[in-house]
Amino acid sequence: MTSRHAAFIARTVFVKDNNIEDACKLLNRILGREGILDQYRRTRFYEKPFQLRRRINYEKCKAIYNEDMDRKIRFIMRKNRTDPYPGY
Amino acid sequence: MLRTLVDSVKIVTKIGNNVISSTSRVNSSCFPSLNLSCGSSATQSPLCNSASFHTSLPRSKVEGRKEMLASTPTKDEGTEGEKLIVVDSMLKRRDDVFPDEDTPSKLFDGIPFSELPVCNIRASPNNTILSISNSKGEVKMLRSCGMEGFKNTRKGTNIAAQATAISLSSLAVSQGYKTVRVKVQGLGPGRMSAIKGLQMGGLNIISITDNTRVSWNPPRPRKQKTL
Repeated sequence: MTSRHAAFIARTVFVKDNNIEDACKLLNRILGREGILDQYRRTRFYEKPFQLRRRINYEKCKAIYNEDMDRKIRFIMRKNRTDPYPGY
Repeated sequence: MLRTLVDSVKIVTKIGNNVISSTSRVNSSCFPSLNLSCGSSATQSPLCNSASFHTSLPRSKVEGRKEMLASTPTKDEGTEGEKLIVVDSMLKRRDDVFPDEDTPSKLFDGIPFSELPVCNIRASPNNTILSISNSKGEVKMLRSCGMEGFKNTRKGTNIAAQATAISLSSLAVSQGYKTVRVKVQGLGPGRMSAIKGLQMGGLNIISITDNTRVSWNPPRPRKQKTL
């Protein structure tokens, strides 16, 4: 049962003030962000080539849409005016 | 009374008729292809009745299944906080939450981190197995939800995992273990509640490590379940 990553260095979170929930949440969030949990769930069952193709294409489309939407939102939210509350 | 009601209904139908005719006009100017369906519905009945829309049976069946799936509660995998996005708190605590090069020699209760006993938790969808080993990996005690008296589907619940963890940790405390580091493997309902149970039983948890085996080029997994 050896794993390739350095045990207790990688994927490790310290518990602060006996607050386990926060540590777990942080760990889960990192694993989710890095796509480790997704990959784990995906490899429980064989993904047929057509499913792989469809998923990859869907992800590409989604990434393009998200990028465009992000740009649009930034365009709408942009502002060029002096700060009305200086010092805050 | 009845007459006024009837009158009001007439007015409503009139209004409806007007609305529909206006929309059909708009449609005819903008989308000529849509003209046919909308116009016919307007001529047949004053209000749009659902009978004029054709829905095939298999489609509605699929939607029914989707609704059913949407209404079912999400499965507990012990991965609470996975989709959470809180940037500020992560940045604030970054300095001392993660291990660094000095961590293995750092002292906890007079014992260096690398010499601390390890509590291994294996959380699968159907069971949770906990074991406490020393730093070399020799297993000293082991408990699973099945050993604790939970049988069949009850093994794969967070309550079973918590009860098992509490009993294991009280046993460990009685044998002189105080501080442990936790190593979690797999996704299952017992993933988080087992850690919680360890703490409730009296053990002091230093760190939580994820040891789930994930590969990006695995051997071919088993075939998918048919739904």
